[in-house]
Amino acid sequence: MKTEGQQWAGTTYGNGWMHKWLIRMLRYIDTRVLYTFVAVFVIPVCLLLNPSRSIAYRYFRRRIGYGRLKSAWKTYVNHCLFGQVVIDKFAMYAGKKFDVQIENYEQFQSLATRKEGFVQLSAHIGNYEIAGYSLISRDKAFNALVFAGEKDSVMQNRNRMFADTNIKMIAIRPDMSHLFEIDKALAGGEIVSMPADRINGSPKNIEHDFLGAKARFPLGPFSIATMRELDVLAVNVMKTSLGSYKIYVTPLFYDKGASRQEQIKQLSKAYVAELEKRVRQYPAQWYNYFEFWQEG
Amino acid sequence: MEQLINELKLQIKEALNLEELTMEEFDENAPLFGEDGIGLDSIDVLEIIVLLEKQYGIRLNNPAEGKAIFQSVNTIAQYVQANRKK
Repeated sequence: MKTEGQQWAGTTYGNGWMHKWLIRMLRYIDTRVLYTFVAVFVIPVCLLLNPSRSIAYRYFRRRIGYGRLKSAWKTYVNHCLFGQVVIDKFAMYAGKKFDVQIENYEQFQSLATRKEGFVQLSAHIGNYEIAGYSLISRDKAFNALVFAGEKDSVMQNRNRMFADTNIKMIAIRPDMSHLFEIDKALAGGEIVSMPADRINGSPKNIEHDFLGAKARFPLGPFSIATMRELDVLAVNVMKTSLGSYKIYVTPLFYDKGASRQEQIKQLSKAYVAELEKRVRQYPAQWYNYFEFWQEG
Repeated sequence: MEQLINELKLQIKEALNLEELTMEEFDENAPLFGEDGIGLDSIDVLEIIVLLEKQYGIRLNNPAEGKAIFQSVNTIAQYVQANRKK
């Protein structure tokens, strides 16, 4: 059921040496210098060579409804913003702090003070990594599901940054050990965070109308949340200016008395509705560069 | 043992929404994974882990152990019989 082209390598671009060099440079150089360099020299080349150009263009034309010229311009802006969020991620590893505003923080707090675990669902919009982990609780461990194929340099930096916190990484592995870790964390009243917009690992999916066309979403995150009838938050972190981000925390509701299939349907529908709301609010921060929609 | 196997088949069928699979077709010795068997995947395993905890009070924490347990309904039944707490 996995559609052709709906795949992702599961790793940050570039090799380990490039990542280390970038982090070292960001200790001394203002991010704005790199933003400008990337916008002027890197993005035009990427747009010429990379198929993401036509994927992003089609997204702006068909899903957002922009005209040809505006779609072309927004494709460039979208790639520049993607470059910026990658730079911001490495700037964070280099020690830079960003201004972060949180909307609905009380929703997180209310769940974080309860005994039961809960699930946070993210998406590949904005920049979850830069601020998603700032939603932490002193009493509840936070487990982020990450792709095991991620570059060592990224994983090492994550581990270094979160060494003294109660943030843990659960890597998705072929031996399914991550499932035992997820279950253990949720049964133990912890928080588990995972993206719910890309089909990776299990091909099982659920279809929803999203931005005016049918799109498939992974069944796993919704299945995991409803298995123990846990509360769920959608957390999206959007870039609002060069040095600031806003975290949107939204509770996702489903009828816990309904059948499992119905619970999954309701929860995934709520997630997709929230994702659509944020994408319409920040259309240029959509970073799923593959054929997301089932279009002819 | 036969009763436990049938009980597990029913519970797995219901938890994983395997409507098209009849009880007669559901071979307790068939591999749970892969195209030659029932064709379950990683998410289904998690469903079964939660099922074993809810129905039999069994907490599975060891992935290495899981590989041997989840070979077939028969291997799950053997494990449940030896380790059930309710």
